Amino acid sequence: MLEMVRQQMICIVVPGWEGTTELAENGPVFTGLEDLLRKVDVVQFASVALLPARADAEEETPSLMMELAIEEGIDPYDMLYRLICHPSEAMWALYRSYWPDGGPPLQSERNRQLLDKLMPCLSIADGGFIGARDRTARQIEKEQALLQWTRGQARALKATGQCGDDRAAFALALAQRAFQNPSFDWALEPAPRSYWRGKGASTSTKIGFVVGAFVLGLVAVWLVGAVPRGAVGLWTWLFGAPHPDVLVVVAFISKASRWVLGVSLRTALVVLVVLYFGWLFLVALPALFKSWRLWLESLWRELDRPTETWSSWSTYWVGWLVVVPLALAVVAFAMVFIFCPRIILDAYHAATKELYGWQIVALVLLALVALIVFVNVFSKVNQRVAKTGNWFFHPYEDDVPRAQQVHASIDRCEGQLVGGTAHMISLTDLRSPNGWSAWWIRTSLRIVTFAGRVFFTEGRLGTAPGIHFGHWHIIEGGRRYLFCSNYDGSFGGYLDDFINGATIGTTLAWRWTTLKPRGSAGAGPAVDKPRSFPPTRFGVFRGVKCELKFKSYARDSMLPHLYRFDKCKTPVDQIILATGLRDALFGERNDRNDDLIMRAIES
Amino acid sequence: MKLTPGTPDALAPGLRSLSYGIFCWANRNPGALRKIGWVLRRWPFVGGWFGMAARASAVKAVLTRPNSFSNTAHAGNLSAGDYLIGMDPGPTYAADKSLLDDRLADLDLKLPADADAEVKRLVNELGALGKNKPFDLIDKYLMWIVLRAMDPLFGAATPRVAAGVNGNINDPGLQKQYMMEIRYVAGQLLAGSTATLRVQRRAELNSDALKARIAAVRTDIENAWNVHGRSADFIDRNAVGLAWISHPVTVQSGALAVQELLGRPEVHKALREEARRLQQIGPDEVWQNKAFRTSVYNHVLELMRFRPIFPLLARDVPRDTEFVTGARHNATCPAGGKMAIWSISAMFDPDVTKDIKPFKDISQFCPTRNWGNQADLRWLMFGYGTRQCPAMKYAVEILTSALIGLLILPELKLARGEGKAIAYDGALMSRMLVNFI
Repeated sequence: MLEMVRQQMICIVVPGWEGTTELAENGPVFTGLEDLLRKVDVVQFASVALLPARADAEEETPSLMMELAIEEGIDPYDMLYRLICHPSEAMWALYRSYWPDGGPPLQSERNRQLLDKLMPCLSIADGGFIGARDRTARQIEKEQALLQWTRGQARALKATGQCGDDRAAFALALAQRAFQNPSFDWALEPAPRSYWRGKGASTSTKIGFVVGAFVLGLVAVWLVGAVPRGAVGLWTWLFGAPHPDVLVVVAFISKASRWVLGVSLRTALVVLVVLYFGWLFLVALPALFKSWRLWLESLWRELDRPTETWSSWSTYWVGWLVVVPLALAVVAFAMVFIFCPRIILDAYHAATKELYGWQIVALVLLALVALIVFVNVFSKVNQRVAKTGNWFFHPYEDDVPRAQQVHASIDRCEGQLVGGTAHMISLTDLRSPNGWSAWWIRTSLRIVTFAGRVFFTEGRLGTAPGIHFGHWHIIEGGRRYLFCSNYDGSFGGYLDDFINGATIGTTLAWRWTTLKPRGSAGAGPAVDKPRSFPPTRFGVFRGVKCELKFKSYARDSMLPHLYRFDKCKTPVDQIILATGLRDALFGERNDRNDDLIMRAIES
Repeated sequence: MKLTPGTPDALAPGLRSLSYGIFCWANRNPGALRKIGWVLRRWPFVGGWFGMAARASAVKAVLTRPNSFSNTAHAGNLSAGDYLIGMDPGPTYAADKSLLDDRLADLDLKLPADADAEVKRLVNELGALGKNKPFDLIDKYLMWIVLRAMDPLFGAATPRVAAGVNGNINDPGLQKQYMMEIRYVAGQLLAGSTATLRVQRRAELNSDALKARIAAVRTDIENAWNVHGRSADFIDRNAVGLAWISHPVTVQSGALAVQELLGRPEVHKALREEARRLQQIGPDEVWQNKAFRTSVYNHVLELMRFRPIFPLLARDVPRDTEFVTGARHNATCPAGGKMAIWSISAMFDPDVTKDIKPFKDISQFCPTRNWGNQADLRWLMFGYGTRQCPAMKYAVEILTSALIGLLILPELKLARGEGKAIAYDGALMSRMLVNFI
């Protein structure tokens, strides 16, 4: 499921760029590429950029990077094959400098060699998010035309004044006009939706999906044991006892099946208990007790505090000294319960065999009282410390040591895209050890991608809007980290969305990176001094909350594009609005659809 | 309903792969389909519950009622746009059919001579390979024979269609690219709506490429077909349809026939013995001996009966109706639904030949079987009635030439030792590695 999302965002990074091809913005290579991408019709965004070589790389020449954001379901090989084998040979024109002798004379041979060269350099995203999902470029263009047409019709209708202030009548009149227009026949079918935006959109379906899969798994495991048992029973009834070896094998299979069943059920129980306590402490108690809510907010604030203060310092270390050992103990207890429950039962019996029931109950109550007393004392101390002076909450370090300078090439690229979909290419290095960092990044990115696919299905990642295609790639054998994003608005606003919205995901995705000195590629910026990603707390807190540091880090990692393709040039909100309008105009007449139509023409 | 390009998958994750996996497995294992077909023939009311016709009489009855059981069931799988196979009868259908008949008439003049000529060329080429050197029978043999044999379909425009508007017509790689393009478009017809999104999108990509290719050489086709004054839509629709439906389906059928033949060593050996005997008489005798050609022709048909490219067919039900299953009650078909035709089961229905003498068990391989007045049933893999494939005889003729070529080459076997000899791409066979013994 996730691979299909990742395959929509491709980067082809070909090392050893000698720079003999003319890559001027309006030169024949890029106009040919523009023409190709328009004709192929399934590429929504594309860009070409030069990636500078690592300082410690054997080859000092830069790599030529091509980014492609394509429609869902297309295999990257099929996409590349289609682009390369297009009669225009635009891809060959872009890459031909990799063949200094001019390449083979036959077009098919050139295509084959180019495909063989590019396929190993192709990287599908290690993680990513797609804002306007389930839509093809053709669909977006048609729905935009419908939106514009509807707005035009609305103006004309308003001028006649025939509907007055009756919004329902106005919406109905517009729907009738749209319905009678044969050029909108395509809109009679509801806009297509994938499972997680369609039938699987509700929470209950998602829970049902997980429970269903779990139960089916349990049934399968049970059958693995039950079928041989049943067969042996039937055989014994029909013909007498089977060979002893058969009985041994069946007994083993049956035992293994029971063990897996037991482990699965106990795991499910542990997950339920963890979820219950998570809900209790993070949802129920904050709702019931204001003090608990304030305490949680304060804890969160201290962990996420961008600057270092004594309050955040002490919170962090209390976390290390108390919470981490406690969490490890819980995990260890859960593991023992899952795999060797007998140990816990034996230990419980050993500890309580001298005690009567009332004594056990009394001990539990005593423990609860002790906990409440401890929490109260801790709370009082906390409040007293807070009252002792502001020094406790004041930062004791500077935020950013210097003012941020943006390289001219980045400024130029951003200037070209003003008013359209903005674009960002960021190249950083992975922290050492690379394998460890790469593993963590991949794990984090899979979680982000999964969340984007299953939960954030309506154009927002967390609370961050305006992302068309944002994707991360670990390249060069796990040494570097490439991030490409196509987003609405400005760079500052875009990063603000992450800083204030999808904080944890962004911190997780970037915290394993660093910025090592490197030369420039073409007219792009160089990195003169090493930079680090802002410090984090427990891997997920702080990080991007250090706003200036984070923005400065992101700016320093950026590279300019040489070429940029934007098929639809439409903001995500506008795309979503147009799809909603289509469904509302051609759907049944009700208040919701009428309201959607009116909002679409009024916005 | 037309296939909407780029429609996302509305099924829950895993379900599509599961259903497509079952579909592909069934296509690759016609024996399993035949066994299910036996059950459906034995208890036809079971098929009735699920809207399936399995008995020969039921299948024939359904296929002779095109207004009640419509071909539009195929339309959703025509990723390159509408074509005859997915249309209901009407003016467009009639015009397109007339053009197709004209094109096939041209084919009549050149077959089997063109196919034989290409087979002879490839026999010489492959004969030089030597023993134990694996080669792909589809890629190196069948594809090219069918391409050359079907040259007359596009007439003088064939080189341009195959090489593209700017391509070098002597570049075999470009021709191969064209053949891959049409293969995936045809594959969508076979895979149908069960196909995974990846397969559907690949078909769409190749359809776009094919349509662009045809549009770019429209004038060449217009001249070659002598259809001046006809609309661009008419030319494009027919050229695109003719391109993807003619070649890949024949190649796949050929590969399936060879697969079946290699699984029947006695049949293969007997045919080779006969070919060798004729070669001893004279080098061209295998090509000129009519009895031998007829025998190979019958073998091709029988092999295709056992391994048809379309073992199952679907039909749309435009209005409430019912069909005779052979059970006590007819099966009802609600309007707007679909029903399935088990051609593979009908071709093995023992009721068809039980009264024909000499009696031959219909489940047995017998190319010389007397079908009596049921001879049309042996062509059931091509459909039946007015909507039967109009090019079926040409396809079998081309495959006969191809099979004769294989019989005079050194003996073939599926290559072992380098992974699986037969590789599938979904329901399609994408590679068939063989070597000479």
